[in-house]
Amino acid sequence: MGSAVLSNREEKSLLVIGGGIAGVTAALEAAEAGASVILIERSPFLGGRAIALHLYFPKLCPPECGFEINFRRLKNNPRITVLTQAELESLRGKPGDFQATVRIDPRYVNDRCTLCGDCLQVCPAERADDFNFGLTRTKAIHPPQPMAFPAAFVVDRAACPEGCTACVAACRYGAIDLGQAAERRTFPVAAVIAATGWEPYDASRLVHLGYGKLPNVVTNVMLERMAATEGPTAGKIVRPSDGNAPKTVAFVQCAGSRDENHLPYCSSVCCLASLKHTTYIHALYPEAEVTIFYIDIRTPGLLEDFRTKVATNNHLKLVKGRVGKIEEDPETHNLLVTVEDALAGKKLTEAFDLVVLATGIVPRSGGLPAEFPRDEFGFLTNGTPGFYAAGCAKRPEEVAATVRDATGAALKALQYAMRSARHE
Amino acid sequence: MATAQPIEPDVGFLKQVMALGAHDAKKCVQCATCTSVCTLSTAETGFPRKQMLLTQWGQREQLLSDPAPWLCFYCGECSKECLRKANPGETMMALRRYLTSQYDWTGLSRLMYRSAAWELGILGVVATVIVLLFTLPRNFGFGLLSQAGPQALSSVMLNKFAPVETVHLADTTLALLLGFFLLTNAARMFRRLTRDDGIPLGTYIRYLPTLALHLFTQARWKGCAAGDAIKNWVRHLLLASGYMLMFTLVVIFLPWFQVPNDRLHWTSFLGYYATAVLLVGSGWMILDRARKNGEMYRFSHLSDWLFPTLLLLTAATGILVNILRVQDLPMPTYVMYMIHLAIAVPMLVVEVPFGKWAHLLYRPVAIYVEAVRRDALARGA
Repeated sequence: MGSAVLSNREEKSLLVIGGGIAGVTAALEAAEAGASVILIERSPFLGGRAIALHLYFPKLCPPECGFEINFRRLKNNPRITVLTQAELESLRGKPGDFQATVRIDPRYVNDRCTLCGDCLQVCPAERADDFNFGLTRTKAIHPPQPMAFPAAFVVDRAACPEGCTACVAACRYGAIDLGQAAERRTFPVAAVIAATGWEPYDASRLVHLGYGKLPNVVTNVMLERMAATEGPTAGKIVRPSDGNAPKTVAFVQCAGSRDENHLPYCSSVCCLASLKHTTYIHALYPEAEVTIFYIDIRTPGLLEDFRTKVATNNHLKLVKGRVGKIEEDPETHNLLVTVEDALAGKKLTEAFDLVVLATGIVPRSGGLPAEFPRDEFGFLTNGTPGFYAAGCAKRPEEVAATVRDATGAALKALQYAMRSARHE
Repeated sequence: MATAQPIEPDVGFLKQVMALGAHDAKKCVQCATCTSVCTLSTAETGFPRKQMLLTQWGQREQLLSDPAPWLCFYCGECSKECLRKANPGETMMALRRYLTSQYDWTGLSRLMYRSAAWELGILGVVATVIVLLFTLPRNFGFGLLSQAGPQALSSVMLNKFAPVETVHLADTTLALLLGFFLLTNAARMFRRLTRDDGIPLGTYIRYLPTLALHLFTQARWKGCAAGDAIKNWVRHLLLASGYMLMFTLVVIFLPWFQVPNDRLHWTSFLGYYATAVLLVGSGWMILDRARKNGEMYRFSHLSDWLFPTLLLLTAATGILVNILRVQDLPMPTYVMYMIHLAIAVPMLVVEVPFGKWAHLLYRPVAIYVEAVRRDALARGA
């Protein structure tokens, strides 16, 4: 059995698309079972959405912890080829015998980079920090995120001033090459795992909730970055309008989810996330009054216990009723939330310092080979031999479930690769 | 908290309301977005989420004593924002249809709202009676057309053909009749809304101006959230003014209003205004409904069509009577006059007390009762 995989690995690999927690897990599990793996990730770093969290389930530990172990496993495993800023350009052939062509965009920084930061001192250009959802800005040359793997800076050439080479001159390791060009590489591949992940629903489309217009309306993913120790506010959750600590915080559940005008499905993790965010807020400000406005609090399985525990806090109110409208006092930038408390049957307008929209999960399933079946909402489904989906591209799920799912997808892909190798 | 009571759902009621337009009411998951986006909904009187639940659970009795369905002016913001496309706005509309059918004590409304055949049939019967009054041979004591005499056939003499005293007597009787049914139906609604209130009579008397205000101005509509609320309100106000004016002219001022060919009375100018707004207003509403222009017009029940269509036809035939009269075409004028009445009379005796038109009293009564309740609540608190 093992020999089949081993002989297979000489010529054909598994292709894993997406370097988030799902993709990294699938790649590691398959490689540690003996397969060779090509792991491609379109951003300049591995870790995806999970590495942007402050703490994650089930143990509420910082993701740096888990990812440190995973990255060590990656580094120590010669059977995995990691390509960042890489996207699948074409997949030719048939399942079991594909030719995958990958386009790798230039990083403009090679592996001689030591993250010393001398270039940051001289770089004259700034850009919005997409990793931190624009809460702060970075230089055109910058570390892609605090614990970047691969550990090298990256240059956003679109932000560079015309003809500027300041960073090249400043780098004493010769690590910067602004003339780098995109390259293409082709790999023989037996099976493909798509772990392309998700993106938060664009909250500005929820026009009544004011995101994008009212500074103190933020999203749940932004709150994770604010809470993160190495985040844009160094771990402080503050009002973007004045940098003050909020005394009252409202969470608006189903901001886009379960809504046929937006995302018709339940994103399944946002209730849990808001309960978790409540613990972030109370860790910083034990007296802050938090209200979660919900349709139903959905915390399946063991997570029910977490809900029960968090809900005992006297400074947390759970109110059944989806928020229909958020307005602002233009003087103070305080927010007025209009909602009906459906259990009390009372419509109310309440003031809050900060409002967090629990935005839902949108699958990132575009640009994949057509053989990947998709459901009506764009989530990938399994069904075509040789094509396997894992993680939030397949269904909205929290990190622990994603890891289990990715392990299963790795096994499926391995089985397929072994079978097709045997039949050759 | 009161002891828990098992809920007895009236399934038949739910089915009826669904048949009257609440097709999607069962999709509601009680998220309450509708109530929070509704600008007419207040802390004390939240809707339409509560009514969605009461409908789903078949709580007929509670809804019969609930003014909320009439407090909604159907801007449709709730339906637009509804997460599950449950169309709460249309459920409120269906509830109004259902309640109209229930507040009427004669049972006629119930028949009309349950079947289109009944509704059209009743209108047709009244129209037939009118036609017969004109066309039956004179020895039956009717036959207005043949009574006109040779003089009236050589030149248009409307007052010879339909003597103003006769017509005046007839339409006063008509007004009293429809007024009786409308008022008794509205009184029945009022009793249903207030019977468990225990609010002193004095409060009800103090709030009578509210009743009058909303009867004549429909001012509450202005508070709707949708961008076209003001347009819809003004248009409705003009239409209502034209309707009320025309009704007054015909019932009270007919001896001056129906004048010989060549004379104008000041009431004529009021008549022109009323005709113009009736024609334009109802035509515009029909157009908007046909084009589904706006949430309010996305779904249409037969009663929604009949209402402006009969108005439009009444105004149009009224104008034709005048044109034919000015052209001095006696027989065509008389026939058109008959058609005019065969549309206007059923519209008034059937639609006003038993049809959609009854909202002209149901709405202000509900707003009035709600204002009284709010006052009592504030005093109690």
